[in-house]
Amino acid sequence: MVNLNLQVGKKMTGRKVGIIGAGAVGATAAYSLSMMGTCKEIVLFDIAEGVAQGKAIDIAQSTQYAPQPTIITAAQTPADIKNCDIVVITAGVPRKGDMTREDLLLINAKIIKSVIDDVKVHSPDAIIICVSNPLDVMTYVIHRLTGWDRKRIIGLSGALDGSRMAYQIYQKLGFGAGQTGKLVIGDHGQNMIPLPQKVKVGLVPTTDLLSDEEFADIIERTKNGGAEIVKHLGTSGYYGPGRAIAFMVESILDDAQAVVSSSVLLEGEYSHSDVTVGVPVVLGKNGVEQIIEMTLNTKTREKFKVSVESIREGIDILEANGFFNA
Amino acid sequence: MAKGKKVTVIGTGNFGSTVAFILAMNGTCHNVVLRGRNYDVTKGKALDMSQAANAARQHTIVKAAKGPEDMAGSDVVVITAGAPRTPGMSRDDLLIMNADIVKMYAKEIKEHAPDAVVVVVSNPLDVMTYVALKYTGFPRERVLGMAGILDAARMAHFIYEKLEYGAGQIRATVMGGHGDTMVPLPKFTTVAGVPIDDLLDSEEIGEIVKKTRNGGAQIVNLLGDGSAYYAPAKSTTVMVDAILKDTNQIHSCAIMLQDDYGYSDIVSGVPVMIGAGGAEQVIEMTLKNLQVRKFRDSVASVQEMVDTLQELKFFDDL
Repeated sequence: MVNLNLQVGKKMTGRKVGIIGAGAVGATAAYSLSMMGTCKEIVLFDIAEGVAQGKAIDIAQSTQYAPQPTIITAAQTPADIKNCDIVVITAGVPRKGDMTREDLLLINAKIIKSVIDDVKVHSPDAIIICVSNPLDVMTYVIHRLTGWDRKRIIGLSGALDGSRMAYQIYQKLGFGAGQTGKLVIGDHGQNMIPLPQKVKVGLVPTTDLLSDEEFADIIERTKNGGAEIVKHLGTSGYYGPGRAIAFMVESILDDAQAVVSSSVLLEGEYSHSDVTVGVPVVLGKNGVEQIIEMTLNTKTREKFKVSVESIREGIDILEANGFFNA
Repeated sequence: MAKGKKVTVIGTGNFGSTVAFILAMNGTCHNVVLRGRNYDVTKGKALDMSQAANAARQHTIVKAAKGPEDMAGSDVVVITAGAPRTPGMSRDDLLIMNADIVKMYAKEIKEHAPDAVVVVVSNPLDVMTYVALKYTGFPRERVLGMAGILDAARMAHFIYEKLEYGAGQIRATVMGGHGDTMVPLPKFTTVAGVPIDDLLDSEEIGEIVKKTRNGGAQIVNLLGDGSAYYAPAKSTTVMVDAILKDTNQIHSCAIMLQDDYGYSDIVSGVPVMIGAGGAEQVIEMTLKNLQVRKFRDSVASVQEMVDTLQELKFFDDL
């Protein structure tokens, strides 16, 4: 074989994504990205021994039938997640029966802390997509722990909640699958604000297709979208979240300048500051390229305020426990 | 088990060829039949496309039709045939010339592909759709004109030029006839659900509407010799894919109105739900007064051309 002696410094490198937490959500994101052929390389890491390794091998074998090749590997240590363009953090525990909200917040914030130090050292130029729950608070935690430009830290919320809303709209209509706008703002929890009245199905405004009663039902079902799956499955959904993560990764790597509702740090937008919450943003090569300020009516503004306050409560719990002091 | 899908494309100019090429690259149908006036040229293009499909690892086979019988069994027939308007030719000259061409092919389709859904793209679009409907004798849901998808794509592009983001996510709405009287509905436009009013001011929106109306002419002027075909062909395959895959998605298409939006026995562009049977439902949107008036003008301009054909006794052989 002839070595062409490429000068490494000048060589263009492929696109690399690290996924910390190779549970169902992280692995499905990796699988979705592999099937689309978006990246050159995906590195999986999981705290549970063997999980990342086993899934990486399985996904790598599936790519033999994908339209484009993707290299899937497992990191032995978090330090192996190096030089990534994007790092997706799905690490965290789910809330169990006897756990208080405070317990969950502190446990997951500590998990984030344990992985974020490695990300800072080994992928210092990465854009971080946070998927850990409670989503908005954990995204805030990453802001505080990295001190990075807010453009580079994005929480998965609206991309998933919006797809759940679009699904509910389709359930009512029975047509227009895949043609519905996805617009949910606010927190990624019980105070989320689905806006089905604002979107369209293909070229037709939903207001010409659905009644007020149906809108109310869609909003309710969207809010309970995650819980509904848990009820049937006994565990959280992961296809929807996995694909939503992949969509955000694609938007960034492709520099698509795509509008996606996501949890980002506000600095005066929508009259709020120093809080992470879901709003429509433009995703591109720099991460959050732009925050879009929509005109909200009084009622929606009030709901948004409630949503922001619920996130702030979580942040305050961490402050009260001295989490950010170190 | 269902057989593979088959699409016939009539007309092998830039438009028809590009439609066939996109279908071959997407692999949405197993067979594409090209029907052109010159068999050798048509066969040359068909071979080239079949070979491209192999490079793309797709299974689509493109064949040249020797005669109208080769369109037998088509799920969809696309009529792109028609003459462009050349200098010195009046609008009526063009109208009658293309109406004759569409009439001829419509009769062939009626005989050889009686179960197909027909997608018309020949111009003037709405009138040609009307002619194809009359001469195939098909129910209205199986004869559709491609216009609104293209006009909306153009509008979306001009919106993108202003915003510099959201490409591919801009849902524009254009209804009415495909021509000077098209009815762009900027108030209905969203970018990933965000209303356009939050992103652009009314002056910018006005400019976009103007550019959209002029979208086809702008490209004609730039090319110097011929008209656009990439966006028109892609818009056509959106309809073809929706039919072949039975997607039940909503698209703006030209269709014979029957008590829709207050009109009957005239073709215009309205939102329809597309599935395997063609337009399975016409969707009525709530229009404001100004929009209602613009739609009325648009319908009237199509009616005028139908009347011209009537006066020329074009339909007398029906």
